[in-house]
Amino acid sequence: MSPRNVAIICVLAFLASLPAAAEPSNTAGLSIPNTNSAINSATPLSQRVVHYEIEARYDPRTHSLDASETLTYHNLTGQPLDSFPFHLYLNGFQPTSTWVREGKREGTRGQDFEKWDPKSYGSDEIKSFEVVGQGDLTSQLRYIQPDDDNKDDKTVVQVNLPKAIPRDGYVQFRIKFHDQFPKTLERTGWDREALLAGQWFPKVGVWWHGAWNCHQFHAYTEFFADFGVYDVKITVPKYETVGASGVELSNVENPDGTKTVAYHGDDIHDFAWTASPHYREFHDVFQGSMGPVEIRFLMQPAHLGQLERHKYVTQETMRRFDQWYGPYPYKTLTVVDPEPESESFGMEYPTFITAGTGWFMPKGFLSPEEVVEHEFGHQYWYGMVATNEFEDAWMDEGINQYTEAKILDSIYGRATSFVNLWGITAGEDETDHFFYSVAGDLDPMTRNGWQFANSESYGTITYGKTAVVLLTLESIIGEDTMRQAMHTYFLRHRFTHPTKEDFLKTIEEVSGKDLRWYFNQAVYGTPVLDYQVYKVSSVPVEWYKEKLEEKKGVTEYVNSVWIQRKEDFVMPVEVQIKFDNGEKVREHWDGQDRWIRYEYRKKAKVESVEIDPDHKILLDRNEFNNSYMPEEKHAATHKLMNYYAFLSQLCAQFLSWWLV
Amino acid sequence: MNGKRGLISAGASIVNRNKRYIVWFYVFNLLFGWLGAMGLGRRVSPILNHSLHADKLLHGFDLAVLYEMMSRPEFGSRHSATGLGLVFAVLFFVLSLLFMPGVLLGYSSDHRISRDEFFRACGHNFWRFFRLFTFFLIIGGIVAGILFGIEGALAKAAEESSYELLPFITRMIGIAIIFVVLTTIRIWFDLAQTDVVLRDQVATRKSIAGGYRMARRNLGRVLGSYILIAVMADSVLALGIVLWNMIVPPASVLGAFLVSQATLLVFLAMRFWQRATAVSFYLHRAAEPLEAQPAALAVPGAIA
Repeated sequence: MSPRNVAIICVLAFLASLPAAAEPSNTAGLSIPNTNSAINSATPLSQRVVHYEIEARYDPRTHSLDASETLTYHNLTGQPLDSFPFHLYLNGFQPTSTWVREGKREGTRGQDFEKWDPKSYGSDEIKSFEVVGQGDLTSQLRYIQPDDDNKDDKTVVQVNLPKAIPRDGYVQFRIKFHDQFPKTLERTGWDREALLAGQWFPKVGVWWHGAWNCHQFHAYTEFFADFGVYDVKITVPKYETVGASGVELSNVENPDGTKTVAYHGDDIHDFAWTASPHYREFHDVFQGSMGPVEIRFLMQPAHLGQLERHKYVTQETMRRFDQWYGPYPYKTLTVVDPEPESESFGMEYPTFITAGTGWFMPKGFLSPEEVVEHEFGHQYWYGMVATNEFEDAWMDEGINQYTEAKILDSIYGRATSFVNLWGITAGEDETDHFFYSVAGDLDPMTRNGWQFANSESYGTITYGKTAVVLLTLESIIGEDTMRQAMHTYFLRHRFTHPTKEDFLKTIEEVSGKDLRWYFNQAVYGTPVLDYQVYKVSSVPVEWYKEKLEEKKGVTEYVNSVWIQRKEDFVMPVEVQIKFDNGEKVREHWDGQDRWIRYEYRKKAKVESVEIDPDHKILLDRNEFNNSYMPEEKHAATHKLMNYYAFLSQLCAQFLSWWLV
Repeated sequence: MNGKRGLISAGASIVNRNKRYIVWFYVFNLLFGWLGAMGLGRRVSPILNHSLHADKLLHGFDLAVLYEMMSRPEFGSRHSATGLGLVFAVLFFVLSLLFMPGVLLGYSSDHRISRDEFFRACGHNFWRFFRLFTFFLIIGGIVAGILFGIEGALAKAAEESSYELLPFITRMIGIAIIFVVLTTIRIWFDLAQTDVVLRDQVATRKSIAGGYRMARRNLGRVLGSYILIAVMADSVLALGIVLWNMIVPPASVLGAFLVSQATLLVFLAMRFWQRATAVSFYLHRAAEPLEAQPAALAVPGAIA
């Protein structure tokens, strides 16, 4: 029996238990679905606060859908609740929204608005809003703006209930809504005949730390939601191939030329789906420590030659995550290769990720692999360890960037894990370091996502700096301890909403070290780390003698080496001094002072000095001044000059070829 | 001289007899290339020459390290570091414009012309060539602008297709058509330039008209030769880069220099081959009318 069949049988076996599990209970007149047992495990993996039941009908001609949503909310906040905020993310795609305003000012992908294109318009319009037992409250809905004073922003709506929901009580919302999808800007929308529907339904905020946490949609922040159960039925024209979060329960053709596909997902906190007539569907199975996982690839026709690359990196990534950090408990994973040039590429949703490639993608350019690895990594750092992406973006994107470097380095080699093409290379570590070195000191990692100085700082700090900070942390506590700490953090905080201190304290606990000196500078602060070899000199001891003849191995020198801490970040470093007789000396400097001088009296001159000779401290912003050779070596410069001269000569010849 | 093959071999024969022009142009090309690269060298040497980190660029080519180097404040702005190369590229173009009349005179002659004749032809025809260049720029610019506009619009429209390769195919076909059209215009002006030099034509518009007539009547032959040589040139360039990548060790600066320069030398020769082909064609076509008006030719012993 093939692994795929085993996976299918396992999934079906779980599904067989669903009717019993789905039997509703009745609490205070509400029909409360029983979601205690489900597909992924015998008992719930998360505290299931929400249960969404959505029936949506999509019209590809107008790129819009009409849907009805029943949200059952379990009040586990420990206090009565009389108001509820809801995200209406699609309203961000309107010219006066905060998302567009910030995008116009600081645009990232899909936000380079020169002029407003009507195709960019999107909306999530609530047609009716009923609270079961309390009546129709549509007229009571009020848009609120918790983060800024933009009264035109309609991405958060709030309702105040006539009657509060008691502790441990349930409330049920019945919402009818109409979505207009934009031509894909960032993450969601339509391209040609395809749709990628993310953040498409009214989603309740998270009660967190004694208050509602329901931020507006910002230009470069992501999302935050409670765990729960999703039962979603999507009706589309029958020629569409549909993929979604969770497990497909049924796929029924309707008499009107449509089909309805039903999905169930549990212990997840979001639900995304896609539909396109162009997808080519392929399957694979990953044998994880919690049983088989069926992987479904929805590929573009022109990318079929890259299917094996996608399969390989998915398998290898899942295997390493399973071994290093913990099991992937879900039964499915859908990998979507979105429409070419679409801004929906490279995005994560629970059990559903979008990849990103083009028809021409040489094997040595590992961009598709990087995207797949990164988005799968989010199944852990976002999907299961569900941090607040608005406020602690570094905890999902940054930690994920770190594990991306570890995993891709492990699969493709440290120096070649991003590019390995025609002699040109780039590794994930170096790429992260470069990313960080561009503008890594404007904001601390812990800044609220929407409050970064600009989008460049957000990207640089959240992704690049976090990865570099954690890679450097390995030099302090050791690579194995760091992996153990990540493993512990995952197992301890999966299916919860951990804070930054939960993460940092776990590392301290596992390593047994007080790392506040490091976290205060690297995580909470903005100091820059930059050490340099300030000066090197080798002076003959008998310099004063006239007609002194220096002879290698005979003449004695006083060798002096100065190391300087140029910036504010204090960190102990190793220094290696190499002499021209082959001897090497290692020094350890605590870095507390601004500089230190080492002196050696030897019958040899200093050949080179290197700070951090094991290349563990990636946080040092300038790696070029970490070493010094008293004797100049021109080869690298000449190599670059030769490349440049070649290009320049070629350019000159082309110019003359066509113009003379 | 029969057909395209005869034209190409006649051109090759002319180039072979006059190798010194290619050598001199190549020497200037090399000199200017390295003068341009010195600007870059001045920026990178303080960063790289004393640093062990430079090994990642020497014993390989680490893209992240390269970008990191270019983002260092001491590197300065990328435009100013690399702009010098562009200045020297333009200078090489001006030099080509200046010395091409002498080359054409040499190519049309059955004996080695003197240095004096060469430079006199250059000085004598410089402004005529400049005027021809201006006309070429206007005509070529308008045609290229229109064609690139159409090609861009078609490619953009093709992006709406669900067939992902369509924009690329559209673009490639468009570029191929633009290449052929611009090559045709280049032939026209190459013949006009030859006409200016060989007839000592003061009124460049007459040469433009003559070049146009000649190109139009015999387009197939000359265009075929030009395209064949251009394809060979591109092949040489591609082969050179592949060899550079395959046989030269990353740290061998000298090896990289030799392979890259050999490639550029052959690539340069290809353009001279095209010019020689045009001269050969021009002389052949001009032979009959010239019998009636021998005094009009300004070339000593031009027609054998």
